[in-house]
Amino acid sequence: MKKVLALAAASCLMVGTVSGLAEGFTPAPSYDVGERTFYAGTVNLEAAPVGGGSITTDIYAGEEGKDYTDEKMYTFNDFTSALTSSMNWDVLSWETSDDSAITDYIITGFYGFHMNSDKTGYSITPEAAAEMPVDVTAEYVGQYGIKEGETGKAWRIALNPDLCFNDGTKVTADDYVYSMQQQLNPKILNRRADSWYDGTFSIVNAKNYLYAGKTTYDAIPDTAENLLSAGTEVYLDMSFWGIVGAPDADGNPAPQYVSIADETLYRDAAVEEGKAEDWVSAKYLFDNYLAAGAPYESYQGDYLKVANAAKDVTWEDVGLKKIDDYTIDFVLEAAVAEPAFYVPYNLSGNFLVKKDLYEACKTFYKEGAQVETEEEADEVKSDYCRSLEKTVSYGPYMLTSFQLDKEYTLSRNENWFGYHDGKHLGQYQTDAIVVSVIADHATQLLAFEKGEVDGVGLQSEDMDKYASSKYIHYTPQSYTTKLTWNTDYAKLVEHGTNSQILVIDEFRKGFAFALDANDFATSYTAAGTAGFGMLNYMYCYNPFTGEAYRDSVPAKKALVELFGMEYGEGKDYATLDEAYEAMTGYNMDYARELMAVAADKAIEAGIWDGEAAITLDIRVYNSDEIYNKMYNYFKTQLTEAVKGTKFEGKIDMTMTPDADYYETNYSGGADMIFTTWGGAAMDPFGVFARCYCDASDGSGNQMEYGYDTSKIMVTYDFGGEIGEVTDTLQHWAMWANNATADVPVIFEKLGAFADYAYSTRCEVVAGVEHAFLNWFTTTSLYYRNVASLTSQKVNWASDTYLNVIGFGGLEYYTYNYDDAAWADYIANNTLVY
Amino acid sequence: MTKYVVKRILFMFLTMFVITVMCFVLIKLLPLPAVREMGRDINLVLAKREKMGYNKPIMVQFFLYLKSIFTEWDWGVGEQMYEGLGIWDVMMQKLPYTIVVNLYSILLSIPLGLGLGIYAALKKNKWQDAVISTMVMVFISVPSYVYAFLVQYIFCFKLNWFPLQLASLSQAGSLVSGKMFVSMVPAIMSLSFGSIAGFTRYTRAELSEVLTGDYMLLARTKGLTKAQAISRHALRNAMVVILPMIIGEFIGILGGSMIIENIFGIPGIGNLYVNSINVRDYNFFMALNIFYTLIGLVSGIVIDISYGFIDPRIRMGSKK
Repeated sequence: MKKVLALAAASCLMVGTVSGLAEGFTPAPSYDVGERTFYAGTVNLEAAPVGGGSITTDIYAGEEGKDYTDEKMYTFNDFTSALTSSMNWDVLSWETSDDSAITDYIITGFYGFHMNSDKTGYSITPEAAAEMPVDVTAEYVGQYGIKEGETGKAWRIALNPDLCFNDGTKVTADDYVYSMQQQLNPKILNRRADSWYDGTFSIVNAKNYLYAGKTTYDAIPDTAENLLSAGTEVYLDMSFWGIVGAPDADGNPAPQYVSIADETLYRDAAVEEGKAEDWVSAKYLFDNYLAAGAPYESYQGDYLKVANAAKDVTWEDVGLKKIDDYTIDFVLEAAVAEPAFYVPYNLSGNFLVKKDLYEACKTFYKEGAQVETEEEADEVKSDYCRSLEKTVSYGPYMLTSFQLDKEYTLSRNENWFGYHDGKHLGQYQTDAIVVSVIADHATQLLAFEKGEVDGVGLQSEDMDKYASSKYIHYTPQSYTTKLTWNTDYAKLVEHGTNSQILVIDEFRKGFAFALDANDFATSYTAAGTAGFGMLNYMYCYNPFTGEAYRDSVPAKKALVELFGMEYGEGKDYATLDEAYEAMTGYNMDYARELMAVAADKAIEAGIWDGEAAITLDIRVYNSDEIYNKMYNYFKTQLTEAVKGTKFEGKIDMTMTPDADYYETNYSGGADMIFTTWGGAAMDPFGVFARCYCDASDGSGNQMEYGYDTSKIMVTYDFGGEIGEVTDTLQHWAMWANNATADVPVIFEKLGAFADYAYSTRCEVVAGVEHAFLNWFTTTSLYYRNVASLTSQKVNWASDTYLNVIGFGGLEYYTYNYDDAAWADYIANNTLVY
Repeated sequence: MTKYVVKRILFMFLTMFVITVMCFVLIKLLPLPAVREMGRDINLVLAKREKMGYNKPIMVQFFLYLKSIFTEWDWGVGEQMYEGLGIWDVMMQKLPYTIVVNLYSILLSIPLGLGLGIYAALKKNKWQDAVISTMVMVFISVPSYVYAFLVQYIFCFKLNWFPLQLASLSQAGSLVSGKMFVSMVPAIMSLSFGSIAGFTRYTRAELSEVLTGDYMLLARTKGLTKAQAISRHALRNAMVVILPMIIGEFIGILGGSMIIENIFGIPGIGNLYVNSINVRDYNFFMALNIFYTLIGLVSGIVIDISYGFIDPRIRMGSKK
């Protein structure tokens, strides 16, 4: 009997399941977002001033009457979480920012950025250089392709004759020439070589010298079809399909670039064997995805390359010239815009190495086997500046002890000219810097409270205890954290949770308006501040004045308008500033209105039936307490936002921990994630092209999957003869990143972006930011800041964060206790923070 | 016996070769670490990879890898971590710390663990046994990093008896100095709790069983005192299980302890393996893989052979 009942129950279950499936909702096969256009308003065209701006050179000389040179010992005790990735402080090949933790102290840049005399900003002074750079382009007319009348392409640097290595050896122009030869040594391929040929300070023939007859793969200058018909071979960057290194039938790995005529099949490990596209060739990928008319034709410029053989040049052809023992010239590929700032800025570092030590650190290989001399080698390896005995200094400090993964010490380099030239008064009271490795955060805090380290970063869970401490500092970062939604209909349908609802603009906008950025930042971050835009207060749009993009009128206006706030006479807010200050991004009533519209729209479009359960999943790195709190906040706010709408009771949220959530997002596998971008704080104009508007399919840096900025038409009104100009959002972003030939419509009418004043550039970028945010494929949550505690032993020079120089840096640290007094103090007192 | 050992060693090398080939091929089949980096020249990285032989067929790369090791003892250099430093040099700098800390820990754990185990077995089902067994359960159940935090907070921070972190060489002079030992004590304590509990539990269990054996009764009836019977017969029999465990612990010290090393600032080898996989540093991964495989295989052989020495009744390789 039991068996019969069980069978009957099972049958009922099966019938129920099958009938459930039969009644299950099937969304429409596709969804059209429609035409997207955006009017970015009028822009006041103003040409850039001739010669750019000017910089100040007066620097802060310390507190009056304070003795910075007493005989007492002042040590700054710091820590790092790990040295694993910061083991290379060779100026020619360092890779990560961690590496520069040591490099910054043991080198001297040609020019230094210091706190100005009234502590309100920065000044620039010559350091390894003796004077400010001089434009000598006229002297090179007829050479290196320089024409009569050109300026800004050749710069003369008078070298500081007092600069020497820590053993007292004087540095001369020959050392710089040797160092640059090593920087561009084709047998070493030093990682920083591209600093001298791939940016705004590209030395003539540096790249050709480095690649010496080899082939490089550069962006296609025309469409692939035109190039092919002209007989030019075109190559596919195999990262387009994520199969660089994938094996062919013989086990040979796929190179990065493969000719689009090549039919060699490579195994795509992401696809199950036997299924479609488990083996693909470059030709197949081009024909089916990138060729004219194919779905990703617009990405030709990103993934198709032409091979260029580097010109065969000698050192004499490279644009670094020794003029005399203490003078060198840089001859550049292109003129430097706003040279008063950008020449010193590009030369704020250095590439100097010490010849005898550098040569001693080389080992030579030919076809993998060690050989005796560099001449017979095809590869040279160097371990310069990777251990104590192989490190040399020409900066204010020198490495005096180093223990792998444990501790290193930097002590005063008494041979540094700055201690004796009278131009660095009030700087470098610190005698030594000791950096220990402390991996665990709880231990870091204990060490700080015991007085063993002089600063510690705080996490959100520490804020209850330390938020009101008078020793707390908030250091702004250029990073903005936002909530990003997937808007690729096909991918969302694949998720099988009806999350395709996210393609409805009103739904995302409603979700965004249900979030209170102020509340979010204070509740869930250690030191973040409410974020509304893509670029935060760290972005400086005028390097001469230090003006922050976010504080500019166009940038404020963009956000105020984005959130529908009105200002002026008779409006909710009297002024733009008042409206901006009141901004929270939160309006629950409006959110509900939008959700109601979204529900109707979704039903009408057949992407939801008004009944089926909807689950939105947020992918997070892990499911720790803070992520859980954030997730609960989103869930609560979404539930509130859909109240009274057709979504009520039918929508839910889940959270999935996923250590590779960025990669999941880049493949369209996530409904929504937290995303963070930042960096390049002195270049707010280029960020959109590089980070936000590059590729909607996850193949670039853009994280808003499915949001194709090449299909959004943006119009600006420039007035006068030019009038209105319309092009895609992606092209406007590219133009702001100094693209010319790639944006023919804009370039033809407006010329180069850099030819305009900062105020004009700021207006254009504000339009790009507004247009990008207008469809709410992402909503900013908070601007990142780092909260840290500083020891009672140390004082910072400024309590206000200043662009480029922060709070003044270690060079301006002053001490309330010397080492002996501090040891005595902490032995007899409990430190209270 | 000799024949058996030689055979095991030959099989060990064969196994190691197979594992090495498999690991090399599998790690090389993974996509290379991304080279996309905003504003940087990708060609530079690709050219460097070409020079390093990354574009050669995998088996050619494997042959070159083995050739470098056997002809020049060159294990390569770090590419994604400890960039440019020799793999062998890094491992040799870090390994001594792991060995020393773990060695101290085992030297403390063995006498304490055996002693408590013997005592508990002799006092079986009395309150002493109950206390020890309860403590054993607690220390086995709670992960070692919990003790580590407690030890650090109580003994290093509150009581100030020990430094928070292991001393550096510049502070202590050498790895075996008194100052270095004092700074190691918190880590040794944290590592030892679990081991002591393990030894205690096994010793108690084995000894309790052996003590009830008929031959123990026979030993006593022959006129041996209780102590003589325990030390000459019971303990020796119990050791058949306990000694391999001790040998295993000794070999295991080469592996390190990632969490304890992190908490107490020990620059040991504990983190290397996981990090090498996370960042896909082929050279570190392969070197550590070979290292750990070798440890595992050698420990298997040593433990198997040790049975023959502890208990002559166990004959290795015998067909009888």
